[in-house]
Amino acid sequence: MSDIASRVKAIIVDKLGVDENEVVTEASFTNDLGADSLDTVELIMEFEKEFDIQIPDDQAENISTVGQAVSYIEEAKK
Amino acid sequence: MSYNLLKGKRGIIFGALDENSIAWKTAERAHEEGAKFVLTNAPVALRMGTIKSLAEKTNSEVIAADATKIEDLENLIEKSEEILGGKLDFVLHSIGMSINVRKGKHYTDQNYDWTHKGLDVSAMSFHKLMQTLYKKDAMNEWGSIVALTYMAAQRVFPDYNDMADNKAYLESVARSFGYFFGKDKKVRVNTISQSPTPTSAGQGVKGFTGFMNYAEKMSPLGNATALECADYTLTLFSDLTKKVTLQNLFHDGGFSNMGVSQEIMEAMED
Repeated sequence: MSDIASRVKAIIVDKLGVDENEVVTEASFTNDLGADSLDTVELIMEFEKEFDIQIPDDQAENISTVGQAVSYIEEAKK
Repeated sequence: MSYNLLKGKRGIIFGALDENSIAWKTAERAHEEGAKFVLTNAPVALRMGTIKSLAEKTNSEVIAADATKIEDLENLIEKSEEILGGKLDFVLHSIGMSINVRKGKHYTDQNYDWTHKGLDVSAMSFHKLMQTLYKKDAMNEWGSIVALTYMAAQRVFPDYNDMADNKAYLESVARSFGYFFGKDKKVRVNTISQSPTPTSAGQGVKGFTGFMNYAEKMSPLGNATALECADYTLTLFSDLTKKVTLQNLFHDGGFSNMGVSQEIMEAMED
């Protein structure tokens, strides 16, 4: 797993209080990991802080799974 | 309709997430009544909601503040006094959040980290806010501080979960701090216990629709809306209620004093 992927995973485990094993690439924040609307915004803000990036709202809307978050951040950090 | 009730008054309004929020309606009405104010919410709530349009509509500035952090509250109060050009006449605390409720964690199986966080955001924040206002001597004499609450603080509503305990703490803080604020600064502190209201926060409560319909059928005047709550709040900010303090004021269409209503009896006979 890439460094970015493991940091993303750690944030999700911490914020959503879910088990590490549940945080798989295809897992949807809302459908699989029990996130509500407040959680998803908090996650985006945590990613921004952790990776020192800005994720505009219209792009944040497209980040709904663990994998999507990882690829977005990997792209942004290139 | 405007009565110029708040002409020249300055304040801070916490918790306007979107147009369903009671704080949103209060800001709109306070603007109509001639008040100047700063809008605030937690950074995540600012991002989630649509507060910018409210700020434009009411010519207000928005300052982000996490109400659980003293340094955020200090910054908010200092900046608000600067922007508004003097001490404050009114403050509305309309914030609350329970992670146990959000995650469907039962009252008998709480995650205490979540319970602590909810208590801090929903209730202790009111003490922190008042302590910061008090220490900074930021309120004008005959100013008014209001927090919003719910009757689950007195009576059992099982699905209200740990928010019931948070509201009980909030109401107690209003009385305890209200004493010192009254005695030392001639500022009044009250809580408004509002009907169940379909806001983002309200709708988070399990079984909310049933809960709301029940209250509607039980109350002789029906449930109070967010706009009606805003109107009531303005009267408490106005000079017409100067000796009202340390009170938990029910704004619920009469619900809190009912035993049973005709409609409920009929529904039970079916």
